[in-house]
This record gives sequence, C-alpha cells and structure tokens, in this order.
Amino acid sequence: MERVVTINLNGNPYQLDESAYDALRAYLDAAAKALGDNPDKAEIIHDLEQAIADKCASYLSPAKTVVSQGEMSKILQEMGPVEGEATANAGTADGGAKSSESGGPAPKKRIYRIAEDAKIAGVCAGIGAYFNIDPNIIRLLFIILTVVTHGFFALVYVVMMFVIPSAITSEEWAAAHGIPFNAQEVIDEAKRHYRDFTADGPPWSGNWKWRRREWKRAMRDRARAFRFYWRYAPPTAAAPPTGPVSALVRHFGGLFAFVFAIVGAALLIGFIVSIISLVSTGAVLNWAPPVGVPLWVAILVLCIAFGVINGLVHTLRGISVSMMTGYPSWRYHDGGFGGLVVLVIVGWIFYTYVPEAHNWMLLTWMQLRMWFETTFNVHAING
Amino acid sequence: MGAEENFAGIRKGLLEFAILRIVAGQLVYAADILQRLGPTPFATQEGTLYPLLSKMRREELVDYQWVESGAGPPRKYYRLTDKGQTRLNDLSAYWTNLNHTLDELGR
Repeated sequence: MERVVTINLNGNPYQLDESAYDALRAYLDAAAKALGDNPDKAEIIHDLEQAIADKCASYLSPAKTVVSQGEMSKILQEMGPVEGEATANAGTADGGAKSSESGGPAPKKRIYRIAEDAKIAGVCAGIGAYFNIDPNIIRLLFIILTVVTHGFFALVYVVMMFVIPSAITSEEWAAAHGIPFNAQEVIDEAKRHYRDFTADGPPWSGNWKWRRREWKRAMRDRARAFRFYWRYAPPTAAAPPTGPVSALVRHFGGLFAFVFAIVGAALLIGFIVSIISLVSTGAVLNWAPPVGVPLWVAILVLCIAFGVINGLVHTLRGISVSMMTGYPSWRYHDGGFGGLVVLVIVGWIFYTYVPEAHNWMLLTWMQLRMWFETTFNVHAING
Repeated sequence: MGAEENFAGIRKGLLEFAILRIVAGQLVYAADILQRLGPTPFATQEGTLYPLLSKMRREELVDYQWVESGAGPPRKYYRLTDKGQTRLNDLSAYWTNLNHTLDELGR
C-alpha cells in the first residue's frame, strides 16, 4: 500500500503516490540546483511545474485520480534534465551527463555539528563524519584527553559547541559528510563507486569484499542524507508535517528541549568532574569505591551510569524537539531506550553467567544502598 | 546515430536560431515550440527549452503575453521583439554566409 501525497502545482491540486512524489521532488530540486543563481529561477520552475501539471492531467480521469510512479518517471523523462548556465556550457545533455559521471570535483567537506547523531551537541559526531571515523572513537578520545588534561578538553568541547555551526539544511548535512546531496550527484557517485570496485582486483580477493562493504556503507549514508532531506527541507508545495502542532505545545516543546539540553550538558560536566575526581582523589563526592574494586571498574560503572541517564535525557530531549517542530522524532527512538535495553540485556547475561560479575554487582548494590542510607539518613525497605 | 551524437554541439548552438524562426512565424506557447521542433533534428525537452526561453526573454529577443486558454490555466504566448527580429536577420545572414563559405572551401 502506498501513501498518497497531494501537491499543489501552480494552484491546482494533484495526487501522487509517495514514490512518484519523491521522484518529482528530486527532479525539481535538481532543476533548482542546475539553475543556480539564474535571475528567472522562480519563473522557470513555475513553468516547469505547470508543464508537469499539464502532463499529469493527461494521465488522470474521473476514474483515476492518482499519478503513479511509473507515470511520473515517464513525465520527467519527457521533461528532460533542466539545463542551467553551468551545464549548458559543459556540452550537450548526454555529453554533460558523461562528464559529470567521470567525477567532477569532489563535494566540499566542512565540519558541522550533527544533532542527528549527537550525544551532547553533535561535536564528536561532526568530527567523526568529517574524518570518516566512528564518532564513538572521537568521543572516547575526548574523554581520555579530558581525563589526562584534568578537564581542559571539556572546555575545548564547550568552545567547539559554540564555534562549529550545526548542520541544518541537507546541503550542510551532505557537506559534513562530504557526500553529494542531489539525485543526479548521488547517482553519479554511485556509478563511480560501482565502477571503482568492479574495475580492478579479482572478485575473490579480500580487498574486494572490503570495498563492497565500504560501498554499501556509503550508500547507506546517502540514503540517510535523503531521509534527512525530506524531513528537514519540507517542500513548500507539500503536505504539512504530521498533525497540526498547536502554539502551546510548540512552546512547551521548545522550553523542555532547552531544559533537557541544559540538563544533558550539566550531566556531561558532572560526569567529567566525577571521572577526574575519581582518578585524582579516588572518590566521587563522598563515595569511594569499595576496597578491592579496581579503578577501571569504578570508571566503567560511572560510564554506564552516565550512558543510561544521558540516554534518557536524550530521548526526552528528542520528544521535546519533535513536539516543537511537529516532525516525528524517528531519529531519537533508537538513542535512549534502545541503548538502555542493550545495556540491561548485557548486564543480565553477565549477571547470570559470570560469577565474578554477579558478586561484584551484588557488592555494588550493597554499597550503593549503604551510601544512600547514610547520606540521606533513611532506611530502605527490608534493611 | 553518428550524426546525432557527433553534431550535438552544432544543434545546440543553433537551437536559439530555430526557436527565433518559429517564434517569428506566429504567436506560440512553449508546448507549440516543442511540437514544432519534435520531428526535426532540433527536438528538445522542457528542461532545455524553458531556461533557454527565459534567457532569450532576458536578452529581450522574445516577449510573452498571458493568453487565457479554453481549458486550464492561462498560457504564455511568445512573440518576437524588434531586437529579436534584428537578431534573427543577423543570424540568417550569418548562416547564409557560413554555408556559402563552406561550399567555397570545398572547391
């Protein structure tokens, strides 16, 4: 079953199925890009939309009200690629396609913060994307450097948080990853990659396998770029975001998003301070790890605790943001609760199958309870 | 096929000429132009034609007016401006000259 999207082409409503809509969107975006800073851009796009609308009308009848993807791609085929000044100079339509396929300049890469993958403000995610490294490695590096430099790198992080802009538009998102963002570029890139990994090396070599994995990963990134694009650059002519959002809800969402962002940042600072204090004085606040528990275990416990709490805050923040913008917070759903579930499962496996871990967890629990009782002077149930 | 591919550049360069010729003959709208060009070697598509028409309008070679159509929204009908007429005359003369030269060179 396909969702139907109602679009407005020059004042007339047309119904497209979702994939037809995506194709149309990609075409119009490519057109807008090709036209660049053409002074008549808006008018040309308007004319193109009108022509597409006329062609759509010829496929529709009282008995058939929705334009299918097949019909849309036929229509767009008839329209032909839009030639701007830049592409017009490059040669003919087919010649131009060839030259762009054989690799123009690589897309420009820039550092952005990527809120989508953020644990705090997306700095590490942005750096990871820029250098094409797993952001978790960057995060680990940051934490280690913070500990080694007694907190100096936490300050560096805060500075970067303000200095590095956040990737908001699809172009910026693509630039952060150094990948192309419009349909034609994506296809060209895909072709080039495909050629690269089929051109050389016997298919049985390990290298080939690795290359194929790389390629798949790259494709996944592009798919994500596109999802991001549709989500964050909703076309003016398209359906509004899911469900109307009242001003009150939006304001509350905004307020809470802000509060949770602050809480998240405070958590991080608390976490870093705890680590430093643990390393330098062997205790956090008034709590010292029980005798016999090595330092690294204590650090691990701190990390896990931070991960759990931060995950929750992150999820709440995601919900607030989605309340504010009206867009579903799909990107946050696997952040907090997913991590928590994995953590619980791993913990349970350890608890069940590793006696040392079992004992250690019990011990920790006792310690925690004792600390809680003495600190707050209360007696837990069944003391 | 060979001619189709090899002389694409020439056709592209002459497309503006062809459009000027069509517009000079009568009031036409974009779909008319496409239809007229369809069976010729200059066959083209909206994606190419619209930007080109807008460029020609910017250069004041053509002009358009909105005309109500029986069915659907009003259409842009293009006509040649005086400047466009001059350009067309120049181009025609130049083209004849080129043809002549090429014929002469072969002798």
